Amino acid sequence: MTNTLAPPRAAVARAEHATKVYGSGETAVRAIDDVTVEFAAGRFTAIMGPSGSGKSTLMHCAAGLDDLTSGEVFVGDVALGSLSDKELTLLRRDRIGFVFQSYNLIPTLTALENITLPTALAGKKPNREWLDGVIDTVGLRDRLSHRPSELSGGQQQRVAVARALATRPQIVFADEPTGNLDSRAGAEILGFMAQAVGDLAQTIVMVTHDPAAAAYADRVVFLGDGRIVGELADPTAETVINRMQQLGG
Amino acid sequence: MRTVMLKGLLAHKRRLLGTFLAVFLGVAFLSGTLVLGDTLRGNFDNLFTEANAGTDAVVRHASKLGTDPGEAKSQRGLIDTTLVDKVRNVDGVADAAPYVEGFGQLLGKNGDKLGGNGPPTLAGNWIDNRALSPYHLVEGRAPRAGNEVVINRGAANNGNLHVGDTTTVQTPEPVPVTIVGISKFGSADGLGGVTFTAFTLESAQEHLLHRTDQVTSISVKAQSGVSQDALVNRIQRALPADVQAITGAKLTNENTSDINKEFLDLFTTFLVVFAGVALLVATFSIYNTFSIIVAQRTRESALLRAIGAGRGQILASVVVEALLVGIVASAVGLLGGLGIAGLLKGVFDSFGFALPAGGLVFKTSAVVISLVVGVIVTLVAGVAPAIKASRVAPLAAIRDVSVESTTASARRAITGLALTAIGVAVVLGAVLSGGGSVLALAGLGAVLTMVGVVVFGPVVARPASRVIGTPLRLLRGVTGSLARENAMRNPRRTSGTAAALMVGVGVVTLFTIFAASLKASIDNSVSQSFTGDLVVSTGRFGGGGISPQLARDVGQLPVVKDATGLGRGRALVGSGTQTVTIADPTKLRGVLDLDVTKGSIANLGPQQLAISKRTADDKGWTRGSRVPVTFSDGATSELTVGAVYNSRNIVGNYLLPREVWAPHAVQDIDTTVLVGLKPGIGVETGKRAVQRTVDAYGAPDVEDRSQFIATETQGVDMMLGIVYVLLALAILIALMGIANTLSLSIYERTRELGLLRAIGETRRQLRSMIRWESVIIAVFGTLGGLGVGVFLGWALVEAASQGTGDFISPTFSAPVAQLAILLVVGGIAGVLAGLRPARRAAKLPVLRAIVTE
Repeated sequence: MTNTLAPPRAAVARAEHATKVYGSGETAVRAIDDVTVEFAAGRFTAIMGPSGSGKSTLMHCAAGLDDLTSGEVFVGDVALGSLSDKELTLLRRDRIGFVFQSYNLIPTLTALENITLPTALAGKKPNREWLDGVIDTVGLRDRLSHRPSELSGGQQQRVAVARALATRPQIVFADEPTGNLDSRAGAEILGFMAQAVGDLAQTIVMVTHDPAAAAYADRVVFLGDGRIVGELADPTAETVINRMQQLGG
Repeated sequence: MRTVMLKGLLAHKRRLLGTFLAVFLGVAFLSGTLVLGDTLRGNFDNLFTEANAGTDAVVRHASKLGTDPGEAKSQRGLIDTTLVDKVRNVDGVADAAPYVEGFGQLLGKNGDKLGGNGPPTLAGNWIDNRALSPYHLVEGRAPRAGNEVVINRGAANNGNLHVGDTTTVQTPEPVPVTIVGISKFGSADGLGGVTFTAFTLESAQEHLLHRTDQVTSISVKAQSGVSQDALVNRIQRALPADVQAITGAKLTNENTSDINKEFLDLFTTFLVVFAGVALLVATFSIYNTFSIIVAQRTRESALLRAIGAGRGQILASVVVEALLVGIVASAVGLLGGLGIAGLLKGVFDSFGFALPAGGLVFKTSAVVISLVVGVIVTLVAGVAPAIKASRVAPLAAIRDVSVESTTASARRAITGLALTAIGVAVVLGAVLSGGGSVLALAGLGAVLTMVGVVVFGPVVARPASRVIGTPLRLLRGVTGSLARENAMRNPRRTSGTAAALMVGVGVVTLFTIFAASLKASIDNSVSQSFTGDLVVSTGRFGGGGISPQLARDVGQLPVVKDATGLGRGRALVGSGTQTVTIADPTKLRGVLDLDVTKGSIANLGPQQLAISKRTADDKGWTRGSRVPVTFSDGATSELTVGAVYNSRNIVGNYLLPREVWAPHAVQDIDTTVLVGLKPGIGVETGKRAVQRTVDAYGAPDVEDRSQFIATETQGVDMMLGIVYVLLALAILIALMGIANTLSLSIYERTRELGLLRAIGETRRQLRSMIRWESVIIAVFGTLGGLGVGVFLGWALVEAASQGTGDFISPTFSAPVAQLAILLVVGGIAGVLAGLRPARRAAKLPVLRAIVTE
């Protein structure tokens, strides 16, 4: 999965001098500090860093779930800072996909209903052909009428990935998607995500602290104390660990 | 442990707000009711004590028939005027004054009737002696000539009347009078809403008694040093057998207990019933809130138990919490009760009751009852779910977040069904088999049915929500679908929340059905039995009076074929005091069809009466039975049943010829005049002619058939209006319960809501989703209430129709339109209940919801 030598592509999302400060005065904390980064189309990017490095904050701001103190985030050509809550919501619904660590699904809906939920919220009919492709990719055909409580953790996360892909979003953000899974189920999910990038030309940004997970990505961005402290193309678990040790030391 | 508890209480103060409000409103209503009752009792007590303060003894006729509230006190016989001098001569008597009292409707400056609507409108003679009369002059002078009167300040103010004005008093013949003085009743403007017009003794005798040799009673003042008892003993010896003397103290007690028996007891019981409904609904809401709070805290409790807290300690924390909420809310509710008491009085006043004004009376009993009931209700409703939760093993609780079982057990289904079935069976058995204890048995069945339905609720909550929510899914798409799923996800909670509303709506439905059935049967029966064209009546309370001369005058009109007056009075018939209708039997035929089964009304002789079929069956009388009738003057005649009739809605159970009644009546008063027009005369033409004639009699209302029916049913509408106002509070409490449950559910679902927002649900969609969930719960509760209410309403109507009440025997009638409106109102109420939780949910920051801890 790390063998793609793609030509330079246009950025699907980018942050420019993004700064997020929590609190004020003496107790102010700069969660991210003047971060400028681009996420290219059709690429699988991993954001790594220790706890408190600001990786989740960066993702939340890039995805329109949180606002910046200064700087700007773009999805496509749209500057998120200028959008109202409703416009942000519609942007998330129509152009962004999400996979979270847990509490990913609506317990009262079946797997299929969960997958098509963003489309349904938009009051649209899903694109049947694309949906079938997504469902087959994650291998859920025979589980579609089950409720989340009737699925294993891995299966639930596969439903979440399918939901994130179902609207053909411009970009998918994944926040520690394998954090709650055992290694086999985790590897499966990461495989699907890589496949979606490879086969379906999706753009995925994933926050993780697991070097093995990061190895599935095309590129790793390292964060420390709210700043970008390094980058690695075509990572393997080993190169990631090495780089982490360097940064840590 | 105490610190943990108090901190918990503070942390949950927002959730407890709903509980607090439910207790507060329930207790406020209860204490308001009690305070209002005590206040009215206290006011009447003061008034009567003041009224009789100077009177040491009263001499009056010994016979007394039970009186109806609102009737003039003309139900006692008269005594000879010569007795006044006899009493004056008794040793120990300082002074004695003759007193005459009867019905006297005073008209205001613009010709409107003053007073009425409950309190009597009285006329009498002026006693110019403060010791012997509660009324004393504050302006002008005492009456000296035949047409001069003194009126009380309250009446003067209401009618815009002043000294020197002329107006009319109907006794019921119109008497033109000049006002020469204004009086006060002790320190008040009047005895509550009673109007009092005082003539000279001679005029009072002439207009009210139509004789000069008799008076109503004699008020006596003792010489100093003579006790009331001694005085009465001495006077009694000078009196004939049918005249009695009683002490002033005893008179006050009689007056007080009369007003209690006739009005206040019923009135306060009526209010307490509704306070009870409100408290019951509050109990459901509290129970539900505590269930959720306890469930949410199970993990915390389990942790405490795992580190060594005993089950008792965990329970104690909930008990203390419930106790604190109960005490604080009840105490505040008690204060709120003062406001409610004022509010209730306003409600009754606005519906036409005139209750006496005066300061609020705050009795210890009202305080204690309200506090104890409030605290106990909170404790029971709060601790029951805690006991259930404390049975969970600590480790199970830590592992499993949600220990509250979300599905209904088979045992619950069976228990619920069985209870409902038994309840329904008892109700049906009681109603269908009849018998004396119909109401008691049906009531027991009703309670069982209600309990059964509440127990069974969770079993049907899921399928019911599914069905109710189906149109939503089609109309509102995924938002409606999510709302439906949320309403279905915890049937016990949905059902528990809806139960409060169900009880409230059930009671509303019950009364709606009962009122509709009453109105339908009144309408039906009047349509069938009233064959005339116009009715002259004194208004909805019937407290006023029409001179019998009016019927004679109207009968002389060229457009009128028949005109007959109906009077109403009380007499001892057989073994009990009964309301009787007085009419001229020969003139009834043209205007009234009583559906006579035996004999003939028109042929009733001078020693005969007619009775209803219901009474005939009840007493085992038939045509030819001899019935002793005792009149208010103490005379007894043996009358023969001359006719038996079916239709008793207009004339009641007993119909007496006027020639039998008149000799014994002090004032001959009609309450209604039925008029039949000559063929070919239009109703409007006839109405104008009749109106011109009756204008001279203080303008009583002239109504055509539909107006008459409307007036007859007006009383039912008025009662229903009051009942609705009283039940509104219970519904409000139920709605707060829904809002509270939703808020707590939202708190539980914070993550889920955050996820929905993250993947693209707009705030508007989120609000709509929660509102619709609220609507589903509300509609579920409303439907349940409608079902139970229609069934119990039917049972009540059936039970009532088997009673031997005086006038009305309802037949079941379901007002479909009104019930449909109730359902719609229930749905709208759901929207309202969902507003605040929806707003709060939409404000939840997306991030806080989805970021893992």
